[in-house]
Amino acid sequence: MAWYVLRRLAVSVLVLLGISAVVFFLLHVVSDSPGRVVLGQRASPEAVADFNQRHGFDRPVVVQYVSYLGQLLQGDLGRSYKLNESVGTLLQQNAGRSAMLSLAGLVLALLVAIPLGVLQAVRRNSVVDRVATGLAYVLYATPAFLLGLVLIAVFSQQLDLFPAEASQSHSPWVVFTDPRSMALPVITIAATSIAIFSQYQRSSALDQLGQDYIRVARAKGLPERLVVTRHLLRNACLPVITLVGTMIPALLAGNLIVESLFNYSGLGLLFLNSLQREDYPVLLAYTLIGGVLTVVGNFVADIAVALADRRIELAS
Amino acid sequence: MVSIAPAPATERVLTVSDLSVEIRRGDRVVRPVSGVDLVLHRGETLGIVGETGSGKSMTGLAIMGMLPAGGRITGGSITFGDTELVGLPPARYRGLRGNDIAMVFQDSLTSLNPTRRIGDQVAEPVRLHEGLSRREARRRAEEMLALVGIPRPSERMDDHPHQLSGGMRQRVMIAMALVCQPKVVIADEPTTALDVTIQAEILDLLDDLRARLGMAMILVTHDMGVISRHADRVGVMYAGRLAETGPTPALFERTRHRYTQALLASIPSLTHDRGEELYSIGGAPPDLSVHDVGCGFAPRCAAATDRCRAEQPPLVADGAEPAHAFACWHPADGPVERTPARLAERPAAVDETSAAPRLRVVDLRREYPAGSDGWFGGRRTVKAVSGVSFDVAPGETFGLVGESGCGKSTLGRMLVALDRPTSGEVVFDGVAVSALRGRELGERRARLQMMFQDSSAALDPRMRIGAILREPLAIQGIGTRAERTARARDLLDDVGLPGSVLERFPHELSGGQRQRVGLARALALDPSVLVADEPVSALDVSIRSQVLNLMRRIQRERGLSSIVISHDLAVVRYLSDRVGVMYLGKLVESGAAEEVYAAPAHPYTAGLLAAVPGEEGPAEADRVPRIHGELPSPIDPPSGCRFRTRCPLATDLCAEVEPVLEPVSPTHQVACHFPLQTKEGAR
Repeated sequence: MAWYVLRRLAVSVLVLLGISAVVFFLLHVVSDSPGRVVLGQRASPEAVADFNQRHGFDRPVVVQYVSYLGQLLQGDLGRSYKLNESVGTLLQQNAGRSAMLSLAGLVLALLVAIPLGVLQAVRRNSVVDRVATGLAYVLYATPAFLLGLVLIAVFSQQLDLFPAEASQSHSPWVVFTDPRSMALPVITIAATSIAIFSQYQRSSALDQLGQDYIRVARAKGLPERLVVTRHLLRNACLPVITLVGTMIPALLAGNLIVESLFNYSGLGLLFLNSLQREDYPVLLAYTLIGGVLTVVGNFVADIAVALADRRIELAS
Repeated sequence: MVSIAPAPATERVLTVSDLSVEIRRGDRVVRPVSGVDLVLHRGETLGIVGETGSGKSMTGLAIMGMLPAGGRITGGSITFGDTELVGLPPARYRGLRGNDIAMVFQDSLTSLNPTRRIGDQVAEPVRLHEGLSRREARRRAEEMLALVGIPRPSERMDDHPHQLSGGMRQRVMIAMALVCQPKVVIADEPTTALDVTIQAEILDLLDDLRARLGMAMILVTHDMGVISRHADRVGVMYAGRLAETGPTPALFERTRHRYTQALLASIPSLTHDRGEELYSIGGAPPDLSVHDVGCGFAPRCAAATDRCRAEQPPLVADGAEPAHAFACWHPADGPVERTPARLAERPAAVDETSAAPRLRVVDLRREYPAGSDGWFGGRRTVKAVSGVSFDVAPGETFGLVGESGCGKSTLGRMLVALDRPTSGEVVFDGVAVSALRGRELGERRARLQMMFQDSSAALDPRMRIGAILREPLAIQGIGTRAERTARARDLLDDVGLPGSVLERFPHELSGGQRQRVGLARALALDPSVLVADEPVSALDVSIRSQVLNLMRRIQRERGLSSIVISHDLAVVRYLSDRVGVMYLGKLVESGAAEEVYAAPAHPYTAGLLAAVPGEEGPAEADRVPRIHGELPSPIDPPSGCRFRTRCPLATDLCAEVEPVLEPVSPTHQVACHFPLQTKEGAR
């Protein structure tokens, strides 16, 4: 187990180095010189050259990359000259808010999708099952921005149940403190996940229903309700755990579309705005963090499944 | 229903009369059970025997009220005590299930919930039916685990199923079924997935518990041997009907139904005369979605007349023994009438002492890396095959027997160069194939072919049979496409299949037909060595004898050197000239088949033979105690003799010095410090 963890960690570091190198060189190729970006089109070439020299942007790109890595190791993610703020601070301000929004959506999705998927499997081919499957396809095929707009039109403009804009408070806990204003963003995020999870849960539960231990449980005289809750549920959830694990990083990185649609300041909105501002240090740091989260997410998912299912031995 | 005289002074606990079941799947209606009558008395074991699709399992499930989706009882009644079970409200049925009527299923890796502790799984029925507290129920579960022979049950209570061996899992299954002390236990193929020595232990355990707890048992199995040793009365099922029923001795000694008679004749025995072809029933069981009027066995029956095809025979009592009844218009009276075909002996020119061996296996070893041992544990290796040597002469068949995990399949894969040995070599016609690579290996490998156990998994489901048979020829660049098709047709003809099979897909064929295709594919490149790994294990008895006869004929006609790998001692004996017995990666005994079976010198071989149910083993075997316990781990095998942990004769010497193969006669070797005093040995 320990060897496995260490080996996975070593591989993860290599993967992250690779990501950082690729992103760094790509941004270097596509972007104008940083001095031009920061000082604007009207700045004199001398001023731009001076800026670049002062901040070390005139050095060879490999040297710049190595010095960037050195800064990273000290926890310095660089500086946004546009916002005149360190990238670390910017990310910190927004990360919590993004995470809370996404997690709320994830939890809502799981709370709905797991029982729904199991119900569909137990009542396979019933009206409930067919309707739920049909809805899942529609939801899955609907782009998040369209779904968000429809929700706004119906629940905000027509019924006036929820506001169309998310809370503008800077607290990351706003999901809990102001649930009314956060309802539509959370539902928008949850909807697509519900569609995926419930179908996944359904097929996994169907697999498990065919296993012999279900028949054994029935032969004990257990009512169907207990067969499902005591025997089916945990085994049927194992594949979903893996799926959720691989999705967690994407969730933490924020939801670009929902955050911008509801004007909720989080990592996603920060990324979009930085893209428009050509604020490369922020883009670079954001991409790198996305990589870290993906690697960590897969790692955590493997460990979680191994803990839930004792048959899996984490070995070579 | 026919009145079958009850055994005196015993109470009936379960009565099934005129039971019919149908299963509806879409437009297809299958009738797996038609008009079955059964009576079960307190304290007895009723065996229900039949092949796949005979309706034996469905009868058990009907009694449990657990028919599969689309299934329903269309007629008849099932009474348990005074309670009619057909039409019983579900809630009342659940109160009986697992409490008064329990079921033991075939062991599979998933028959226990993989994510729950075994103690909780065993305690569950007690909590449900008797409303005991968690602590009380766990105490009962622990007692029950002790009763079914789980060592140190208190430590095992918190184990998960994957931590137990197959035999132990089956004990847990039994504990789970019996924990509420039911009056009736239905055991559906309780030992089919287990090794023969474990099977014997489990069946003895069931017998013992039945007597101690005063239960009645229905033992559902395909294995006539199990029935003959463990059932008081038998019901033989065919095509959803009861063909014959009666007290076990009467049914075996004076078999009346033509199907029972043919079935018994087609089972290879340990003492079968190898010169005689096995009796085999032609054709296959009927399709139960087509509802014929006559006797279901008529199309395959040698004695069938027009009456059999037109009229369903009723179950009638035998004159001499009223408890013995059969449903046959032309009951048999005596053994199967036939003149068995003599099989050609091995060509005289082949003499293993003078001819160079076709295949030589020299000190072959194969190790696999295993998971590490806990946190920061060192790397471990599974020693699957640990130094095996033997020769196979041209035209000779060498049988490898042993229980699961003994390394016989790993060995088989190395013989045909599908796997590389860790050390040692496989020499084929003077060339060490185990060291070859690339093109040379590809060319040599064509001469070494393999026939697999599960042909439905070994044949590509999206390829037609014709394409499957042409593929090896195309890879080796033999002939034009037309020539290859002609060759495929010839191959099918050789294995007794019509040319129309060329256009079929594997799933359109029956299990027996697929196994024939598997053989045809192995023969496509005209190999000189054929390795058959469990060639008939997946087949029903009546189909098995057809395939066995076919293999014998092909071995002889083509002068093939073959290696037959099986856990089934009778199958190996029927096919093999010489046999090797494997235990935990080692060959413990080898020699001429007749000699090894008649006078086993290794205690393990003797124990294996004694454990085969329904066989009158050699007289010597009776003195050998049954083998107990389970196979030790191949990661850390016992020192000295690997069998010593289960051997009744083991001494300190066995733990210190590893015995090597030494001759007990010119054609018989054994690796044991204290070989059994066989007839040959005593002389």
